[in-house]
Amino acid sequence: MYLAGAEKRQDLIEREAERRSCSAKWQHFPFSTLSHHGEACCDIAREWLLAMDFAQLNGGDLLSGPRWMRQKYKWGPTAWPIHWCDAVERDTLDCGAHAAIAHEAFRARGVTSYPAQFVQQYSPDATEQWQKKWSEDDVSCHWIDDGVIYHEGVALLTGEDEVKLWDASAGWWINPRQQPHGYGSLLAVRIHAEGQFGVGDGFRWGEHRIKPGAWHEF
Amino acid sequence: MPAQIRIYVSGLYCGGNPQPGVGIVRSLRAAFPSSKIVGVEYSNRVSGIHWEGLDDVWLQRPWDELDLDIYAERVRELVGGGALWISGSDLEAMWLASIFPEGHPNLLAPPMQALKRITKPEVLGAKELPVKIPTFISTDHSDWDLHAFCRQHNWRVWLKGPYYDAARTPSWDVFEAARNALSKVWATQRLFLQAHVSGYEESVMLSAYKGELLGAVSMRKRDITPEGKTWAGDVTEVPDEFLVPLRRMVKALNWTGGGELEMVRDAAGELWLLEMNPRFPAWVHGATLAGHNLPALLVQAATGAIPKPSIAHGEEFTRVVLEVPVRKDFPLPPLPEPFAGAVGHSMKHPSGLPALAERLQESNPHMLEVIGDGDGTEQVAKIPETMMQDLGSYDFAQVQTPEFLFMESTAASLFKRASERAHRLSTNEVQVITGYSIKTNPDARLIKLALDNGFLAECISLAEAQKALEVGFRPDQVILNGPGKWWPEGLMPTEQMHAVFCDSVADLDRCVAALASGEMKSKHVGIRIRTPNIRSRFGIPLDSPATFAKLVEAVKRLPTDTAFGVHFHMASANVGVAQWWHLFESILKWCRAIEKLTERDIEMLDMGGGWFPDDVHDGDEDKFAKAVETARAVLPNVRQIASEPGKAMAQPSMALAMRVLEIQEHEDDYVEAVVDGSIAELPMYFFYPHRMLRQCGETGEWQPLKRGKTHLMGRLCMEHDIVAANVQLPEGTRAGDLLIFCDAGGYDRSMSYVFGRG
Ligand SMILES: [Zn+2]
Repeated sequence: MYLAGAEKRQDLIEREAERRSCSAKWQHFPFSTLSHHGEACCDIAREWLLAMDFAQLNGGDLLSGPRWMRQKYKWGPTAWPIHWCDAVERDTLDCGAHAAIAHEAFRARGVTSYPAQFVQQYSPDATEQWQKKWSEDDVSCHWIDDGVIYHEGVALLTGEDEVKLWDASAGWWINPRQQPHGYGSLLAVRIHAEGQFGVGDGFRWGEHRIKPGAWHEF
Repeated sequence: MPAQIRIYVSGLYCGGNPQPGVGIVRSLRAAFPSSKIVGVEYSNRVSGIHWEGLDDVWLQRPWDELDLDIYAERVRELVGGGALWISGSDLEAMWLASIFPEGHPNLLAPPMQALKRITKPEVLGAKELPVKIPTFISTDHSDWDLHAFCRQHNWRVWLKGPYYDAARTPSWDVFEAARNALSKVWATQRLFLQAHVSGYEESVMLSAYKGELLGAVSMRKRDITPEGKTWAGDVTEVPDEFLVPLRRMVKALNWTGGGELEMVRDAAGELWLLEMNPRFPAWVHGATLAGHNLPALLVQAATGAIPKPSIAHGEEFTRVVLEVPVRKDFPLPPLPEPFAGAVGHSMKHPSGLPALAERLQESNPHMLEVIGDGDGTEQVAKIPETMMQDLGSYDFAQVQTPEFLFMESTAASLFKRASERAHRLSTNEVQVITGYSIKTNPDARLIKLALDNGFLAECISLAEAQKALEVGFRPDQVILNGPGKWWPEGLMPTEQMHAVFCDSVADLDRCVAALASGEMKSKHVGIRIRTPNIRSRFGIPLDSPATFAKLVEAVKRLPTDTAFGVHFHMASANVGVAQWWHLFESILKWCRAIEKLTERDIEMLDMGGGWFPDDVHDGDEDKFAKAVETARAVLPNVRQIASEPGKAMAQPSMALAMRVLEIQEHEDDYVEAVVDGSIAELPMYFFYPHRMLRQCGETGEWQPLKRGKTHLMGRLCMEHDIVAANVQLPEGTRAGDLLIFCDAGGYDRSMSYVFGRG
């Protein structure tokens, strides 16, 4: 009884450690960028996307999220690398591609944005579904880890050091006041930015402070 | 043993847009389990009366039949006898305030002075809060001004009444219908139009007693019903920068009871106050679940009783749908019979709240002055002096009505102003020119004015081009546009035109061939691009990367010995002024992309307008000057910018004269007058208001038509031939009197049709 209890406790500690470093698996994982053929095909695709993004604002605020992209490109498996000319013609894009085009669009609007990497909690049922779907398309499942997923988005600078996190594949801003865990919640984020923000404390996201360039776990 | 607390709670409606009563009851029950809670309602169709947490139900007759004097006496007895009253309905709170103008210690609702200070849309009482009020205009203003307000705000506007209805009015005909409906339901003409603010909705709920703020929480909507009402939300503390002024406001208003500030947070993080409600919100129990039981604080303040501590279950809440048993004493009433031939049962407002609104209004017409900027009397649109002069030049005894009247001096002054403006806007690098769009009104007098004032002739068919040439335009002053540029055959000018814009890739290829063979000659050859975000059937589409690639390829096929240009057109009057300027900026970005990808310099930019006259002639010239500057910055090779204010020129340049044929008076001042004009001469009647005048038969004086209960019905035997609804004919108007509809020189004139003339 005693031993069994200890084993169980050890198991719990390990799982807890694993849970705590939910981003460890993606420590050296780079954020996604679209490739460019260096030719007219990709030039046209890129120009179209950026001009269309501005048109779709309909006079709205430059800081509003480009939700139209998610409407045009559903979320689904994408084989990498992917080029601009291919990406804009597809019906589905994965979160890396969604985030990459949203980031480019924000930059073209003249607002400051940074690539952001997320770790999110879902459930084994959800990840089993995605595993199957991605495998069927012969696309890497590196982003799935038993109930937890790697995801990408964009951090938009809205003040001196304040950011909002755009989930381009969902078409919404992530809630900075979210509960610390649970289905769909954000477990960790890494914002790729150079320089100092918030006098060295990092970006302000709701009540949180997030240092650029490193995984921040909640 | 202390006396049992008795609390009367009203507003128990539980539909898709629920009242807070049931939430208040649940919160009170949690805090004061042994209190006696009585539900107050005015219809046994309101499902909240069956809520299990109620000890009793006090059911009144609906407001439309309730004797308010007897009822007031009963309420006085209740609160006088120690019972508390928490109102869950805005209108009931107003009625209670009229019964207890200075309040009552047991009436947990705001006093009359406080209610007056939170009237929509200004919400004067909230002036100190860190919120903005969305722009609004009272419907006391003339239709002319209201239409301008809608254009300025891109038709993203809401028509609201003093109570809680609102209707989106994306076009003029919808606005007119909504105004009719809202003023009928709420028995008031005092409505207002308010600009929509895009963003996320959040609220602050408060609880106060005799000017002391007891508690406040902030709630963000996290899920909404199709009507935009809260379905789920999260609840947090109110930040200090809001709480401190809120406390001062509650003190200044001497507030008692619940309250809710409904707001929108825009993309820049700014808060906009939509309204303040004199009661707890329907999500009140959501806050209780998060540990903030505001109704309990209110009862505690009023009685001194200590509530059971609130348990916080987390900051997020959501709704579910529950079935509950019906109380034995209140069996369900039968469903009303559907109206014969109609669909559905028509069940709005079971407790008769609109009737209460009407009765409150009758008893105190100034209770809810909606807006301070009007005195309740309607303002009439100003008629420009040149128009009055032009009317004065006619001998109406000789005018066979209905007849279009050319407003000579009006037209001349408009063309002159536009020409001078173009001149002022031109710089050394960029020439600003104006094109007169023949289609808006092909009257030779207007075309001649265009010619004399240095306009180009903008034509959409060869027939129009010929007309321009007949009036005196040279081919090199003609811009040929649209899908009909090859019709009718054989009329293509033989000399070089100023510009040709291709409407499709097929059109472009035909132009390329015609230019190669010498059939067509033009200094500029370009493309019209289709607006990507607003539906249009014209121009080359941009809606997918593939179509854009086709456009790029097509432009590369254009001959290099002609200058390249881009044309776009969208009616500013329809999409709104701000939206149009965004479109302009957007088109510049597309132009830049096209230049880059085709390596063709854009030398001419032709921006079609569909401008409402006032938006051009009285519009901000700086805006146009800035636009020229921006265009030049984005497209450094642009030499010429053409604008096309056709409607702005033509619309004021003609008026329609008609005569009254017959006047029929009906009940309740409702009048139907038949006129010899019709929608065959005023096909634009549905799209914008026309300024109207009647000439007094005796004095010859011109009198403007105000709003009223008269419908002017056209001469045609067609159901929808009503040329003006809800106007008022000046007293003494008789059959034979002359009416003038101004602003009929644009598409009214050019699209008028021959009908019912034998
Ligand atoms: Zn490519």
